[in-house]
Amino acid sequence: MAIAILLPVAAGFLVLAVRNYYVRNIIVIATAIVLIANSILLSLRGPFTYTPGGFDWGLLITILDYAILIFYLYVGISLRNWLVLIFALTQILPLAYFEFVMKAHIEVAPAFVVDHLALVMTMVISIIGSLICIFALRYMYDHEHHANIEKSRQSRFLFWLVLFLGAMNGLVFANNLVWLYFFWEVTTLCSFQLISHDRTKEAIHNAARAVWMNSTGGTAFILAIIYLYATQGGSSALSVQSLISGGIQSSVAVLPIALLCYTGFTKAAQMPFQSWLLGAMVAPTPVSALLHSSTMVKAGVYLVLRLAPAYAGTYLSVIIAIAGAFTFFATSALAISQSTGKRVLAYSTIANLGLIIACAGINTPLSIAAAILLIIFHAISKGLLFLCAGTIEHQIWSRDIEDMEGLAAKAPLTTLITAVGILSMFLPPFGMLLGKWIALEAAYTVPLAAVLFVLASTLTIVFWTKWLGRLLQVLPKIERPFEKLSLSYSVPLWTLLAGIFVVGIGVGPIYQNFLRAATNDVISGNQIIALGLNNLILTTPSFMQRDILGLFPVWPLYLILIVALLLPLLLIGLKPTELRPVYMCGEQTGGTDTDEWLAEADRKTKFQLGGYYYQSTLGEKRVNPWANAIAILLLVIMLGCGVIVI
Amino acid sequence: MRGDRYMMIKQFLFVLVTLVGAPIVGGLLFGIDRKITARMQGRYGPPIIQPFYDFFKLLGKEHIAVSKLQFVWIYGYLVFMIASLIFLVMKSDFLLLVFLLGFAGVCLVLGGFSTKSPYAHFGANRELMQILAYEPVLLLLAIAIYAQNGSFLISEIFIQDKPLLFTLWPLFLAVLYVLTIKMRKSPFDISTSHHGHQEIVKGVTTEYSGPYFALFHLAEWYEIILLLGIISLFWTNPLWVGILIALAAFLLELLIDNITARMTVGWMVRLSWSVGLILGIINIAYIYYTKGVS
Repeated sequence: MAIAILLPVAAGFLVLAVRNYYVRNIIVIATAIVLIANSILLSLRGPFTYTPGGFDWGLLITILDYAILIFYLYVGISLRNWLVLIFALTQILPLAYFEFVMKAHIEVAPAFVVDHLALVMTMVISIIGSLICIFALRYMYDHEHHANIEKSRQSRFLFWLVLFLGAMNGLVFANNLVWLYFFWEVTTLCSFQLISHDRTKEAIHNAARAVWMNSTGGTAFILAIIYLYATQGGSSALSVQSLISGGIQSSVAVLPIALLCYTGFTKAAQMPFQSWLLGAMVAPTPVSALLHSSTMVKAGVYLVLRLAPAYAGTYLSVIIAIAGAFTFFATSALAISQSTGKRVLAYSTIANLGLIIACAGINTPLSIAAAILLIIFHAISKGLLFLCAGTIEHQIWSRDIEDMEGLAAKAPLTTLITAVGILSMFLPPFGMLLGKWIALEAAYTVPLAAVLFVLASTLTIVFWTKWLGRLLQVLPKIERPFEKLSLSYSVPLWTLLAGIFVVGIGVGPIYQNFLRAATNDVISGNQIIALGLNNLILTTPSFMQRDILGLFPVWPLYLILIVALLLPLLLIGLKPTELRPVYMCGEQTGGTDTDEWLAEADRKTKFQLGGYYYQSTLGEKRVNPWANAIAILLLVIMLGCGVIVI
Repeated sequence: MRGDRYMMIKQFLFVLVTLVGAPIVGGLLFGIDRKITARMQGRYGPPIIQPFYDFFKLLGKEHIAVSKLQFVWIYGYLVFMIASLIFLVMKSDFLLLVFLLGFAGVCLVLGGFSTKSPYAHFGANRELMQILAYEPVLLLLAIAIYAQNGSFLISEIFIQDKPLLFTLWPLFLAVLYVLTIKMRKSPFDISTSHHGHQEIVKGVTTEYSGPYFALFHLAEWYEIILLLGIISLFWTNPLWVGILIALAAFLLELLIDNITARMTVGWMVRLSWSVGLILGIINIAYIYYTKGVS
């Protein structure tokens, strides 16, 4: 376990020190391989708990906490960004109060509890995150060459990227809330450094926004810690396990739970906090890939999901379901109006996180299982799509969907992979749809959420199909040889592509052997504590005995997919004599593969096609005020739930 | 064991009969459509089996290619349409059926997008808006069925004594409206139509010709049977009442087709997202109100 957290930190510093491109690559690749192997070994070993000893780790963490917060103060002052400053102060002052005035003595044993959910998360983080780091090696090289940057800052970039993985692993393992808070802050710090990496005005501005929005979450986190410490009698309350075990009098514990959920919402960029994640798009694409697939936002949904048993059966749970479903709906609608590829991806991420959070809020065994499946499938597909977006960007040097017009002609291989990635986001038999299908079945207890799911998933079809359509447009031609991709690009791309199919087709056995245990761990936090924390034997009763897939015929559906699309793709061959130009009322000029026609006064004109973006009905300017107002209202109700219960 | 095998063989034969029978009945329905429409317009009209003549003639025509992907997607359209029909006759999961139907629709749209043809693009964009208009209604129907029966399974509908129509009549109205959209008949002959319209030529199918256009027709025949099958789910005990209702709905569509003019895409989506969804939501709310949540 120490490897999962500390190796990335060590490798990060090593990478920072090494200036040679090739040596650095070897270090990153080796780290990636060790991390992947380590996460698999951990999962094979099963759940365990751990408390590091021999050194006052708590002190180190406290010092680093202050270091990070003081750094935010510095950022706030140097950028004259008062929001960053204010929300750094709202964290540092309560923290100081907590430690010096309340003289909190924190002793949480065990400090780390690694259950099946944490193992699932560390697999996602280590495997997908590592692949993205490998992709970043070449990407940053190209990126700096294209921008003609004199002094290479790749080392620094890779440092934060690799460090991020360590912090995320720590976050999902931590049981001690104070440590969890520390890892939480480290991920915020990493995201700030990575978003602002390009040092443009926009990048720094957006990075600062990411910090202050997440700092409001951090503030809520500290308040929750203080409240728990003060009302629940000391440090024994500051453990994730005791929170979810219901060992605390639940009526009093609702407020801190609501605060922690708020923290999760900020990190998962739920409405009205979506703007920080959208702003984060200015960063180099590997950062987006990492933030969206395996780290950062997944920390937000992890926390909400983790706490699910703590708010089960309360109004808070219903509100969380509705707030998540609303985000799913509103951001899916907003995605239709976006013409930048990465912004479409970003909105889709926020939408799917909303869906996952809604599943946590629905809070039945079925919906929790759906949430875990969605986390995994979303990480794979979205990781792949962001890497595709990065690859496309380095082929056409643009992020605009309109510039991707006809990419199938220029870069058929990239288009093919992107097309599979896009289809895997919203169509059967792929995993995302499987998750949605389960979620819809689970949603019957919260009918409003079910209706929002339906509307949102329809909107999802529209924006994905629209984008894919822009890529496919080609002129009649026979040969389209695949383009060559650098290994650093193609290995992560192919691995993730294979992952979609392997996990998708094998979802039945994977669920039975691995995810069912994770679902049970989420639902039954109290069972673990009853058995004694230090001796974590998972004999928890299985709530999820039924076969999750029910009547979702995975294999036959993949067979249909092969018959429907793969076989025609491989078997249909065109002969040159069959080629004809498209119908242009007989006004074409030249051969079959020209796109010129005789416009008015017989002038030769290229005809041009464009996508629809429905700006007047679904543009951000029009939708945002309403959607944000509703989202803020839901947040107020959510926190209100916590207060009123007291 | 023996009984199981007997059931399996029976089900397999049933699927086989559907695969062969559906396009025949579907083609005949389109023939009847042309005949009745002609009579309404004071014409004599083609023979009822004209669609089959057209189909085989198209099959014999030479291949003309504008792009390879276009052909891939039309196969996808056909196969997913057949798959959803099989889901229906096997009385499987209704929600999944709707998702598969959605995939079929997406294939048709992408087929239109994978050429550089302005008319195909017009059609594809409009077809996508049609999906936006009808998909939520069908999904809401799935949720309403779940609320009513506690399951998405079509076989569960067949067990119930009381027809769905009694409790789901608002959604029945909305589904009639979906039928008009899916049949691409006036006022919704927007993405393509059975008669050429100048500004879109043949819309999303403009660039299909010969055998591949025949595939599109084949898929349409499966589609009409699928849709009428969904409508007949509203009255499954006895099933012949449901089938009569579906046929009546079909005739109603012909009448509507002949007495209305085509409308715009925006109008369609707005109508569907206001009237259609409100009908669906009120319907679901009512079921929850009467049955209680969970």
